[in-house]
Amino acid sequence: MSKLIRIGLPSKGRLKEESLKIFKKNNLSIKDSKRNYLSEIKNFSLNEVVFSHAREIVERLADNSLDIGISGYDLLKESLPGIQKNIQVFSRLNFGFANLIVAIPDAWIDVQTIADLEEISFEFKDKNIGKLRVATKYPNLTNDFFLSKGLTQYKIVNSLGSTEIYPFTSQSEIVTDITSTGKTLKANKLRALKDGNILKSSACMLISKKSLKNKQKKEIILKLLKKIKKF
Amino acid sequence: MKSKKYSEALLNLFKKKGFKVKEFENIIESKIIIERSGEIFKKSLLSFEDDNGKNFSLRPDLTISACLDYIKNVKRGIYKYAYFDQAYRRTFGKESLVRNQLGCEIIGSSNLQLNAEIINLIDQSLKKVIKYKTTIKINDINIFYSLVDSLKLPSRWRLRLKRHFWRNDYFKELIMRLETNSDLQKNVFELDKRSYFKMKKLKQNEMIAGRKINEILNRFEKKIKEPRSNINGARVAKIIRDFLNINCPLKNAKIELKKFEIKNQINLKLNQFDVFDLKLKNNNAMFSTNIGRSVEYYTSLVFEIYKKSKNLNLASGGRYDNLMQTLGAKTKVVAIGGAINYDNILKL
Repeated sequence: MSKLIRIGLPSKGRLKEESLKIFKKNNLSIKDSKRNYLSEIKNFSLNEVVFSHAREIVERLADNSLDIGISGYDLLKESLPGIQKNIQVFSRLNFGFANLIVAIPDAWIDVQTIADLEEISFEFKDKNIGKLRVATKYPNLTNDFFLSKGLTQYKIVNSLGSTEIYPFTSQSEIVTDITSTGKTLKANKLRALKDGNILKSSACMLISKKSLKNKQKKEIILKLLKKIKKF
Repeated sequence: MKSKKYSEALLNLFKKKGFKVKEFENIIESKIIIERSGEIFKKSLLSFEDDNGKNFSLRPDLTISACLDYIKNVKRGIYKYAYFDQAYRRTFGKESLVRNQLGCEIIGSSNLQLNAEIINLIDQSLKKVIKYKTTIKINDINIFYSLVDSLKLPSRWRLRLKRHFWRNDYFKELIMRLETNSDLQKNVFELDKRSYFKMKKLKQNEMIAGRKINEILNRFEKKIKEPRSNINGARVAKIIRDFLNINCPLKNAKIELKKFEIKNQINLKLNQFDVFDLKLKNNNAMFSTNIGRSVEYYTSLVFEIYKKSKNLNLASGGRYDNLMQTLGAKTKVVAIGGAINYDNILKL
């Protein structure tokens, strides 16, 4: 018989550590082996814990191959509307805090606001040197934010990592990226724009909406959430 | 078969006036659109990649298809297009991905008589086919630009207001910011003054993320010289809002605008505009400063046609003299066109 509920947890880094801590704090014991991506909560109803990439947890909750999971609010909001509509945010958790921000080279001293950036984007367009390029791992959130601020003349460069170095390796002119302390930005000669805060993120407890429609699963999920009192 | 009856009748009327009914390519290279419109439009494209990583899209708009056809096949002279076909856009669940577009375009002529010709053609054809009385609303968006130029504003604010005139919601936000000076940052320049003096000593042609140091410093200096605090934001915002409320019969438009000039002590340079002399067959022609703001590429004359009794939009269009070049034409090719709001026609 398949396990009754599947719980998705981040497979690495601080998100994983902090997620496991929450279960431990609430006397729910999850055996963690670094190489095994499957585990379970020992002292709870039929369940299976799946360690996955945080981005993948969002997608698996949407297609209901996971019932409940922990992931970043930024990753949920970056996903397509069709994915988001299948997921319920049960609660924001007290870790994984970070801001998605717009950052520009420190030496662009004439640019303080998105309005300035918008003017620069037209300079690029008018000089016929292509569009202002924005490196990001978050194209959807970036597009929505720029549109709301009147910035239209730019091109997204999809980045998978080390986004901060893109402006200095001719891969983009500016970036949008997640930052928690701002130290990485500073070390890479970048600075956040004053009005360039796209999203405040933290880890979240997420539930697949489809699972909530299944009476038996819903009961188990709510029982589990009731046990996890301390976030 | 209401749909077929209307489309055939309208296309036949267009053909009688020398328009050629054309079918366009279904697929276009996405780069052409993205280079022109930026990332925002990319979101609405239905795109795919070929084996070489080249990105293609289903045609999102038939005016753009007509322009691309002209660039590829016609190349010079006047060409009168008529079309009835489908365009495809991502709609995020609100509307259908497929939209029927019926329209006509005259590409390659700056003859001002064509302005009236295309409006009269669409209006009269609609009247014949749907048999309802119509009202035409006319505007020339350059009058708004002239207003902005006449106001006491820093040049960067002028550019901003012109660039975002076509984005109604964001434009409202801009006007609010202008009114309240809410983005005024008095201390902002002080923060970067140290860097400014350091950068003055560097090689001025050195590039930092795509911009020369001297470009950065010049713009910084310009900002200091044109502080926004000098603007009487509330007054300027009021003038712009009042201007956008002007709505009168076309025959009285010049007089109304002159009154507006006197009241606000500005000069709109009205003699340079020919919109007031349009020879329209429909007596119900209105001048409205607030129309034609939904399409980014219009450059001067814009029009909208409504069913008189219900104020239902039946057609809209305008002159787009810069679009062809941004889509790849080697020289400036002027154009004017209009599209029937086919879904609304079917509602009648």
